[in-house]
Amino acid sequence: QAIDDDCNQTGQLLAAMLDWPQGTFASRVELEAGAVRVQREVDGGLETLRLRLPAVLTADLRLNEPRYATLPNIMKAKKKPLEVIPAADLGVPGGAPRLKVLQVQEPPPRAGGEKVESVEALVEKLRHSGRI
Amino acid sequence: ARPGTAMAMALAWRAAPRAAARLLLGRRGIASCIDPSTGLTEDQKEFQKVALDFAAKEMAPYMAEWDEKEIFPVEMMRKAAQLGFGGIYVKPDVGGSGLSRLDTSIIFEALSTGCTSTTAYMSIHNMCVWMIDTFGSEEQRRRFCPSLCSMERFASYCLTEPGSGSDAASLLTSAQRKGDTYILNGSKAFISGGGDTDVYVVMCRTGGPGPKGISCLVLEKGMPGLSFGKKEKKVGWNSQPTRAVIFEDCVVPVGNRLGAEGQGFSIAMQGLNGGRINIASCSLGAAHASVLLAQEHLTVRKQFGEPLANNQYLQFRLAEMATRLVAARLMVRNAARALQDGREDAAVLCSMAKLFATDECFGICNQALQMHGGYGYLKDYAVQQFVRDIRVHQILEGTNEVMRMIVARNLLQG
Repeated sequence: QAIDDDCNQTGQLLAAMLDWPQGTFASRVELEAGAVRVQREVDGGLETLRLRLPAVLTADLRLNEPRYATLPNIMKAKKKPLEVIPAADLGVPGGAPRLKVLQVQEPPPRAGGEKVESVEALVEKLRHSGRI
Repeated sequence: ARPGTAMAMALAWRAAPRAAARLLLGRRGIASCIDPSTGLTEDQKEFQKVALDFAAKEMAPYMAEWDEKEIFPVEMMRKAAQLGFGGIYVKPDVGGSGLSRLDTSIIFEALSTGCTSTTAYMSIHNMCVWMIDTFGSEEQRRRFCPSLCSMERFASYCLTEPGSGSDAASLLTSAQRKGDTYILNGSKAFISGGGDTDVYVVMCRTGGPGPKGISCLVLEKGMPGLSFGKKEKKVGWNSQPTRAVIFEDCVVPVGNRLGAEGQGFSIAMQGLNGGRINIASCSLGAAHASVLLAQEHLTVRKQFGEPLANNQYLQFRLAEMATRLVAARLMVRNAARALQDGREDAAVLCSMAKLFATDECFGICNQALQMHGGYGYLKDYAVQQFVRDIRVHQILEGTNEVMRMIVARNLLQG
């Protein structure tokens, strides 16, 4: 998930365009000959995939421990050249973003819950509201 | 920081009973009146961030163990040196980081929140490397500084003797010239790192009495005639060994002398100007950590049916602690700027800063302990270690009484 819009699509889109396998939310990566074993964090726990190379991986928080920046590197960072390449120079169709934000709204405030007298009544209610 | 990061790290730290550790990650007193990053440049904020991260991860979880078992954490310090913390204000051509005194103060203040005792030793080490870097010949700088900046070797500063503490210029360790060597006889007391460190910057008498007869020699462990006393048992600063250093017909090549004969006392005092800012910075870090601990305790602990934080007396005390912390920090940073700018009043400002900050910060840590009630007295809680570790800051690198002498002299004779 990108840190700006949380869309969770860049890696997946790239894999689809390239027709390469994808291993997203990788929390552990092990290279084998011609393949990569990716452990992914999914809602239910951990899933391990084996992908033929080349593949697209996206990293999860737990994949790595970031290094500490060293003091000399912090000072050098300011002096590093920042090369700006216009998108057109790379043959990428530039122009306005193709994603338009139509509306941003808060989720509806939590409505109060309801107490029921018995388990049967609970199951009835759940069935009626289409939850089961 | 993203919530995931804080949670992931907090989970890893659940094993550490140090509330300080959790606090350092979760709330560093940022976005509050005691935020230590206010007024800093972008670069300085980066340095501070690295130091705070390092302190929270590599030091805070172990500070209690290092204190209890009297462990000198060599591996951790070498890791710190890899980041550039071994020679912070030493020139880069011999392995230092070439930063300013203010940058240095910020870094030591941050590291001290993780373990004050070890950070204080690191500041002494840094001071010694700077002395060699600044007053040594090209050959001496290249011989000593690189391995010290990387902390492959560690250094100790040897001025105090059993018979001369505050009256440092009356030191007796003699260095008799014999051909192209000096023969040293005497002893030094209370040497931080003594016995475990490799390089010793020793002030000794080559000439007549008084400061002008003192020279500075660099000794190395293993030199014949160099031995050490027993490891002292201390109230705090237990993550660094303290021993007497003994010279018995110790032979030192003339090529190990820093600067000219008779220049030693001046070298020692110039080293101490920076050393005083560093020690004061260590006190600031301990006080900051203690204020955070007190803040947490006041919100969590309940008595008489409500959190302690609802009690106006305690609110006022916490406010006073915060105010004094910020005042002390400003004194220290002001002195650091004066020193790096080479101002004439730098030395006396360093003395004032050391006096004020070490006294105030001890009061802050002590008050934080009091706010913890009985729990503050238990070694399971970090606040008592901050109190014990910074108590000695009011004594060494020039007692706070000597600091007053320096300020008075400036006012009445200057």
